[in-house]
Amino acid sequence: MSDSSETSTPIPEPEQVHGLLAEYSTPQQLIAAARRIRDAGYSRWDSYSPFPVHGIDPAMGIRPTVLPWIVFAAGLTGGTGALALQWWTSSVDYRWIVSGKPFFSIPANIPITFELTVLSASLTCLLGMLLMNKLPMLAHPLDRSRRFARVTDDRFFVLVQASDPKFDAKDTAGLLQATSPRGPIEVVMEDTKSSNVIPRGIVYALLVLATAAIVPFALSALARVSTSEQTRLDIVPDMDFQQKFKAQRENTFFADKRAMRLPVEGTVAVGELRDDDHFYTGKVDGTFAKTFPSQIEISDATMELGRKRFGTYCTPCHGVDGSGQGMVHQRARSLMQGTWVQPADLRQDKDIYRSVGELFDNISRGVRNMPAYERQIDTQDRWAIILYLRALQRSQSAHLEDVPQAERGALK
Amino acid sequence: MSHGTEIEHHDNIVMDSEAAGAGRIALIVGGVSLALALALGFRDLPKLERAYLVAFMYVLSIALGMLWFVAIQHLTNAKWSVVVRRVAEIIANSMPFVALLSLGVIGPMLAGSTNLYVWLDHEKVEQDHLLLHKAAYLNLGFFLVRCLVYFGFWSWLSRRFFTMSVRQDEEGGSEISSALQRISAPSMIGFAVTLTFAAIDFIMSLDATWFSTMFGVYYFAGCVLSAYSILGLSLMWIQSKGRLERTVNQEHYHDIGKMMFAFTIFWAYIGFSQFMLIWYADIPEETHWYHWRFEGDWKYVSALLLVAHFVLPFFGLMSRHIKRNKRTLAFWAFWILAIHYVDLFWLVYPNGSPTIPLSPVDILCAVGVVGLFFGLAAQRARKLNLIPTGDPRLADSLAFENI
Repeated sequence: MSDSSETSTPIPEPEQVHGLLAEYSTPQQLIAAARRIRDAGYSRWDSYSPFPVHGIDPAMGIRPTVLPWIVFAAGLTGGTGALALQWWTSSVDYRWIVSGKPFFSIPANIPITFELTVLSASLTCLLGMLLMNKLPMLAHPLDRSRRFARVTDDRFFVLVQASDPKFDAKDTAGLLQATSPRGPIEVVMEDTKSSNVIPRGIVYALLVLATAAIVPFALSALARVSTSEQTRLDIVPDMDFQQKFKAQRENTFFADKRAMRLPVEGTVAVGELRDDDHFYTGKVDGTFAKTFPSQIEISDATMELGRKRFGTYCTPCHGVDGSGQGMVHQRARSLMQGTWVQPADLRQDKDIYRSVGELFDNISRGVRNMPAYERQIDTQDRWAIILYLRALQRSQSAHLEDVPQAERGALK
Repeated sequence: MSHGTEIEHHDNIVMDSEAAGAGRIALIVGGVSLALALALGFRDLPKLERAYLVAFMYVLSIALGMLWFVAIQHLTNAKWSVVVRRVAEIIANSMPFVALLSLGVIGPMLAGSTNLYVWLDHEKVEQDHLLLHKAAYLNLGFFLVRCLVYFGFWSWLSRRFFTMSVRQDEEGGSEISSALQRISAPSMIGFAVTLTFAAIDFIMSLDATWFSTMFGVYYFAGCVLSAYSILGLSLMWIQSKGRLERTVNQEHYHDIGKMMFAFTIFWAYIGFSQFMLIWYADIPEETHWYHWRFEGDWKYVSALLLVAHFVLPFFGLMSRHIKRNKRTLAFWAFWILAIHYVDLFWLVYPNGSPTIPLSPVDILCAVGVVGLFFGLAAQRARKLNLIPTGDPRLADSLAFENI
């Protein structure tokens, strides 16, 4: 700790006195000396030792540091900042539906919160310690004292600076002499030869390094806005070329050269026996069914299930209102994708009058650009989506008369 | 150089009648509680077995935490902890008694009870593909062999640390310290393996289809946390009887408090890591374990653990002033020991039922087992030096200061 008030007037000498240095042989002597200087009321002085000396802080009158509070505040800031950043980016600024998951959830955001708490607390701790100790210090007048070199080995020192308001060449020397130091009191001169300025070579080297550090980012930025005839670099080839067969690819190992295998003839996998046409295909006697199968209960629970599944699988393209203006569509339009076809507006008459069986077939097996969802959405859930879709279609072309009398007031 | 005689003149380091008296009271309270628990719980054996398992795992965690503490001090050649190590050695040395207590869990298994562990039920195992698959590991014979290995190893290790350290009181010198340091490193590997598998066997296999590779570490975090709390409280009790008054000071308590703080974070870190992996993978065979604990009344216990096992002690133990003050440190030590019991209760009990089956049997079992354990430890502490007077690092420990 040092006092920031500098009230002493510079001594008009070419080589100013920096302070007085006393040397001690043991930590006990150092502590005894520190107590006397503390009690004499000095503020700009310090003690030096080869290792941390227990009890030196109270002996020098050093108050407990405020650094822990700063670190605590930094940790809190880091933690709340991380949470706020994740909340704002994912649920306010750039809401993006991912499989119907909530925009913000605590468990998913804990790792970042934890890391940023630790990072800001520990960085603040390190930088705060350096700053409060005025480090790094490139040069110090004591560097020029030959005796002081032994501070890294087996000697202990006290330096009272001439800038201390209580400093007086004679009195201070007397005080130090009274602490029975080893050898004479040394007058330490201000260092006029070395300087605190960083050598030019190092500055230039750092500048070159800093510039070089920009290059990878610049290359990335360039790659984002330019096209290239060359094939991409495979930095991790076994990630890019994995030893596996993807769906619909060729596999020469089998006689029919298909990577995808058919079930053994005459067998049905567990849970794959689909002997109810109405439920599994939406068809009754070969034509699309006009009614829901008996397994589907027309209830609020099914409606709610349908709403959830619709939100997860359908809204990215068809939009929350089924208008075909979902986020994927808007994104495709903003990118001006020439081949993009707008997803169907499910509120149109042709969809409204389409039978539930046909809708089920569309969802299950896909239609035009829309892929088949048979493998992604349970059979039960696909029917629930249709139930919800029916309600959605009705609501989008509803009249006031459709709303129950009791609830009309809420709409006005 | 031995500082033994110097210390003996300086401070009172042996307990005789107080340790015996307190030990006797604890033994009586423990014995009566356990007898009452048996009498009350006799009609509902499944309940009694679970209540006893929680209590047993509680005492085991303290003993294991103490053993780990002693081993890590030797492994790191720690100087600060020398004055507090003997207390840990004495408590860890009760490990053979913990092995005896395990008969309360193993006995019913031998008698054919399948109340605790479904994998003991041959009919259910035959019907469940997963259990059948695990039968090579989860069967009574192999379980007993593993128990022998666990308790044999822990008992041997704790006994070795204890007897060698006591011998050093007489002989002095650094040879014994070096010898203990040499065994501490390999023993730590053995400790990690045995503790992990013991946690899996005794608690995780209650739900035999569930699995988590973090589980052993999770139990370990509780072990260490409770052991440091017990260590601090034991020293405070010893000092309240006029022993070690000038030997153990706030610097040592400060370090114990730091470890309580650190392992509070460690517990939360491990607990959350285990939860998050299962939460985001969202595979039914893993999530059901948490599902049981997030439904019904159990969700309040889960929330309580988050708040009282992490958030409150985290902020409560952060300040150095709290760790350097015996009263505030004692408060948090009791707090941690209480919530550690809740933690084990939460690990052992939920099995699909939404209600929390806390009853007097649980409390009586816990008081009984804990009473017997500490009663015995106090009895055995009689006439022993409460600090290792022959340890060459003793002077450093006495002069220890936090910067």
